Amino acid sequence: MTDATDSRQPGDHLFDVEEMELNFGPQHPATHGVLRLKLKIDGERIVGCYPIIGYLHRGTEKLFELHPFFQNVPHTDRMDYVAAATNNLAYVGAVEKLVGLTVPPRADWIRTILCELQRISSHLLWLATHAIDIGAMTPFFYTFREREVILDLFEEYCGARLTLNCMRPGGQPYDLPVGWVEKCRAFCEEFPERIEEYEGLLTENRIWKRRTIGVGVLDPEVALDYGVTGPMLRGSGIGYDVRKARPYAAYDQVEFDVPVRHNGDTYDRYLVRMEEMRQANRIVLQGLEKLPEGPLMAKRPRVMKAPKEGESYYSVEGPKGEIGFYIVGQGKPEPYRCHVRAPSFINLQALPDMVEGALMADLVAVIGTTDIVLGEVDR
Amino acid sequence: MSGLLAAMLEATGPTLFHYVLVPLIKIAIVLFAGVLPLIMYLVLAERKVLGFMQARVGPNRVGLWGLLQPIADVMKLLVKEDVVPRRAVRWAFVLGPCLVVAPAFVIFSVIPFGPPAATEGGISWFVTDINVALLMVLALATLPVYGIILGGWGSNSKFSLLGGLRSAAQMISYEVPQGFALVGPLLLAGTMSLVGIVEAQRDLGMWFIVPQFVAFFVFLVAGVAESNRNPFDLPEAESELVAGFHTEYTGIRFALFFLGEYANMIVVSSVAVTLFLGGWLRPFPSVEALSFLDLSFLPAGLGGVVWFSLKLFVFLFVYIWFRGTFPRYRFDQLMALGWKWMIPLALVNLFLTGLVKVWV
Amino acid sequence: MTALRGLFEKFMLLDLFAGLGITARHLFKKKVTVQYPERRMEPAHRFRGMFRLDEERCIKCTLCARDCPIDIVYIDWHQEPNPVTGKKEKVLDRFDIDVQRCMFCGLCEEACPTEPKSIWLTSKTYELASYDRWSNLYVDMDKLQEWRVRPDYTDREVE
Repeated sequence: MTDATDSRQPGDHLFDVEEMELNFGPQHPATHGVLRLKLKIDGERIVGCYPIIGYLHRGTEKLFELHPFFQNVPHTDRMDYVAAATNNLAYVGAVEKLVGLTVPPRADWIRTILCELQRISSHLLWLATHAIDIGAMTPFFYTFREREVILDLFEEYCGARLTLNCMRPGGQPYDLPVGWVEKCRAFCEEFPERIEEYEGLLTENRIWKRRTIGVGVLDPEVALDYGVTGPMLRGSGIGYDVRKARPYAAYDQVEFDVPVRHNGDTYDRYLVRMEEMRQANRIVLQGLEKLPEGPLMAKRPRVMKAPKEGESYYSVEGPKGEIGFYIVGQGKPEPYRCHVRAPSFINLQALPDMVEGALMADLVAVIGTTDIVLGEVDR
Repeated sequence: MSGLLAAMLEATGPTLFHYVLVPLIKIAIVLFAGVLPLIMYLVLAERKVLGFMQARVGPNRVGLWGLLQPIADVMKLLVKEDVVPRRAVRWAFVLGPCLVVAPAFVIFSVIPFGPPAATEGGISWFVTDINVALLMVLALATLPVYGIILGGWGSNSKFSLLGGLRSAAQMISYEVPQGFALVGPLLLAGTMSLVGIVEAQRDLGMWFIVPQFVAFFVFLVAGVAESNRNPFDLPEAESELVAGFHTEYTGIRFALFFLGEYANMIVVSSVAVTLFLGGWLRPFPSVEALSFLDLSFLPAGLGGVVWFSLKLFVFLFVYIWFRGTFPRYRFDQLMALGWKWMIPLALVNLFLTGLVKVWV
Repeated sequence: MTALRGLFEKFMLLDLFAGLGITARHLFKKKVTVQYPERRMEPAHRFRGMFRLDEERCIKCTLCARDCPIDIVYIDWHQEPNPVTGKKEKVLDRFDIDVQRCMFCGLCEEACPTEPKSIWLTSKTYELASYDRWSNLYVDMDKLQEWRVRPDYTDREVE
């Protein structure tokens, strides 16, 4: 090393090393769809991570401009396709705000119940994929068993399991079918036991803890800078939840806690989501209890027209974070412009910060904990 | 059968017969009647058991309870196109899978599946009993990792390369504690012959798992890591490296890797059974009252084989159980576990065993 | 004391055994798999599946075609006098649905003004897979009416 011609500095490698560039995805089992990451890796250590998105771009926002308000609801199903109900609610909420419709209370309560069931089902899917990313394959099957029950409930309510199309501007198209409330209550009463089961496999498991504690730490400042919302933000110690901050539907009439944890790592986000499932379960039970009688649909014209000059933004707390619709009207039955604040897209921006300097194995854990749905990222 | 053997003995002379023909026949029997079907059905058993643990039923379409599934799988793998990537290093790509499978099969030659012949000219339930058997097992058990590295490097894919590298790291971290763990029973038995070790357990009156519990635990963990099984299946971690070292392999070459993994599982389990669980011995080999457990009504020491198989199956079940339950370690954590926990544990155990051996 | 207990738990691998216990218990639990071709789940009453059309009820208002978000309902009609009453009536020439693009949102059914609906999706048919997308999933008027017979779903074992 004392050779005068040797230009290497102390700390350099003994022999020539190069950083390797690795294309992670779009076809890869752990990218939850068609996310592509251009990685720069030094051995297994990640020195650079550049998400490349757009493989699932379908021009949804442009599609919104071509159709009357009520025809756009099915398109919102296909953005975050594992949480259609919250997408529906955010969209119809924005339209109702723009057109000026008041939703009857029963419809509000049904929406609340559907959204919370949707939150459980989305978190179950997240848990399944997150666990399988970290190598535990069994929780996948347990969670899908419960998710199936929720999807059956959806099917009974609106006729579809995934792409629900279960809300309309102005109210709910259908009433709850006979026996639905009982079935739903039976599920909700059994569900906490099931959560115990998943937690028994993971929460205390030392391998799970070592794989998640201290991995993918997201500082609260960074999270705020990126506009990260949802469980990602609450895992970092900021208790922002649209359901509490700007209560919509019937959320001001139910009791629930917003779980917040402070370390901002993968394990804390995991615990936050597990607790959120319990809270969602609690909200559903309260909803079934308090469900008022009454009409389902507000009085609305067959063709809804936006005011000549008007815009509205309405956001709800989706399972992934704050999902909002910003609609500009121009006196026509179609929106002039519709922008979606997609939580997956915004949460994904924090990914490079979280994996910088981590190992390859951490990368999949962090992608899992970010809980992105590419349909929503690319729209 | 015995007439045929006698005729062969007549024709070939005793030397050729005892040292060439009989081992050859035994190897053929072990491979084609023992190990290969066992591997095929181990795959099915794994899928079934995992299915049952996961609230589903597992394969059940091909034949009754899916019993013909392994045959269908093998047929499929055999007739699939054999793809070698254009930029692959061909010799390494071809050699890799062979290096994984061959050593595992060779190890079976020294494993005693049952007791030695009770009488001169009787049937002994192993291919050969050599006095350095344990050393040979250790030496051969290291070889598959070269196959994995070669295959991972030779397929010229970054994911495969990472898989191969991980495999190397894992091998270094777990060969050492495994070796140390094996020394414990070795000290107690005073021989490296696997048959001798089992006989030493019979003479001691208990399985070596009792005095060597720590060594057993270390060997179990290291064995799971050695055979690249969950929670140490890093070289092929499908959610991180797509399929790790065998990402680019198809058809029969992939089948060889697959075969190698399961053969390794059986090898590690067999060695553990032999060293720690008393091989072909029944439980509590010294308690006379339990001697009916010897199954001595079965001819030619077959009772011992039954016991050996039972223990082997328990071991294999534990492997599958682990896979159904645990998440995967990260590779630095795995190495930390190996160096910071397993090696000190094994060393302490070795030290204590030595003290006991000197004083008692 | 808690530190001691934590140490004990750590060394005895209790967390790992808890997980092993859960999987072992499931080994003997009832399985949830539904063996599909033999056992078929009956969809819910509101299940949105394959279309059905009742030509006699249809008033040819084309609202369903207009409300379809992806414009896959094609309707042509002409007027001709009724042979009995002599009044002019609308007659369907074509009522096609391009089912391969359909997303089963049910808006066409909702738009239908007749009572009961003349187009509806609750035929409980979900087995729509076909070998030829062009001929089998482009459904014309006659086919739409033939879907009356829903397949025999049974939640029991078929012998």
